[in-house]
Formats: sequence, structure tokens, C-alpha cells
Amino acid sequence: MNYSLFITGSPTSSKACHTALDFAEAVVQDSRHTLSGVFFYEEAVNIANALAMPPRDECNIRDEWVQFAQQHSIPLYVCIAAALRRGELNEAEAKRHEVDQHNLASGFLLEGLGSLLSLTLESDRTMRFK
Amino acid sequence: MSTLIYLSSSPYSSNSIKEALDLALVFGTFEQSISIAITGDALALLIASQTPTVRQGKHLFKLLDGLEFYDIENIYVKQEEIAKLAIETWPGVSPLAQESWLDMLDQHSDIYHF
Repeated sequence: MNYSLFITGSPTSSKACHTALDFAEAVVQDSRHTLSGVFFYEEAVNIANALAMPPRDECNIRDEWVQFAQQHSIPLYVCIAAALRRGELNEAEAKRHEVDQHNLASGFLLEGLGSLLSLTLESDRTMRFK
Repeated sequence: MSTLIYLSSSPYSSNSIKEALDLALVFGTFEQSISIAITGDALALLIASQTPTVRQGKHLFKLLDGLEFYDIENIYVKQEEIAKLAIETWPGVSPLAQESWLDMLDQHSDIYHF
């Protein structure tokens, strides 16, 4: 089965991003299944904040997602509107909005909701984590 | 694919309903079959007399009349819930009895709950 993941829960006030990663790892470990991509929406977009620094003795769920995605060539999409609303910009958006800083972590892509639709259409099942 | 956007949170407690409607409109733009179900605290979205300030959030009630332009024509509510409101609400909804509500849920391949 081909899966895509739709994550909306906050990486700090929920375990949505953590349990989604557990699920994603289980998917890629089973040869019967594939994972097309991951779309972060609502509070979950905060996972892409490069400036979030959890204590060193705690899980860094952002870096774990990036490492997983790179290892398995899985795109990590972050809703652009939801991200901008929450102060997460890549370099291009920082220029567009005429601000000096940008903080989108490497490994994440700002995309519109159309990318979620594409993921959903190419997947047998979309799993939601909130 | 038939998609249901299922709303149950208050439009005034977070951005969740705004972002749910954004999702519905984008899927509608891409000519997907979209329906919306509104229940619980989300029913506040339908109250005609609301006048939210900018600080309280976007006036989402005004979006409702535009849904048909995205071919979103099925807006479901529970018959018993809408009757209890006893206040003027947006008229474009389809009230369903509990059994029909469950049938309606079954008819959708994808459900996004906000």
C-alpha cells in the first residue's frame, strides 16, 4: 500500500509528529508498503523552525524527520500559508515580505495545499496525525 | 475521491476552522468532490448575527455564500443540533437525522477532521 501522511499536531504540545515518524519508519521497513510524502499543516508546521532548540538530552523531532526523509528520499512539505502565519519563512519568502531573517529548516519545502491534494491522489491511504 | 471536511471545533478558539475552509477551497479549485459537515462547537460558524472583530478572526460566515463557486454544495449539519440553536443561521445547509448522518460519513472516501 502506498501511504502519505498529513500531520497537523504541534511538535511541542502534542506527540503527532513523533507518532507519525514511528509510523513512517514502520512503513518503509515493510517492503509491501511505500511512503509518497509528508504534509505538515496547522500547528505541525512549527516542526520546520530551524531556531527551535530542544534540550540536548531530549528528542529533536525536527532533525529526526529530516534525517529520515533524506535517508528514504521522502519529501517533507510544509504548508506555505500556515507557515508564514506562524513566522516560518524560507529565504525567498523573507525577501518577498522584506524581512531580514529566515528560519525554515533545511530539508523542508514550502508548498501550497495543492501538494497535499497531489499526495492524496497518488496514495492509497492518507494517514492523519493531530 | 469524495472528500469530507468535518468541522467540530469553534471558529473562535483557534485558526483550525479557517485552515479547514482553506483546504476545502483549494480542493474545490482542483475540481475535487468536496462536502462539509458541521457539528458541535463548529456550528457557531453558521450563526448569521455574528460580527467578529479583526482581533477575533476573519469573518468566516461571509465565506459560506462563496462555497458554491467552488462546487461545494453539500454542507451537512445534524438535524437535532441545528434545531436546538433557535437562532438565525446560514440557510444553505442540509440537516440530516442521525442515521442519515452516519450514511453520509460512509459515502466519503477521505475525511479531514478539524
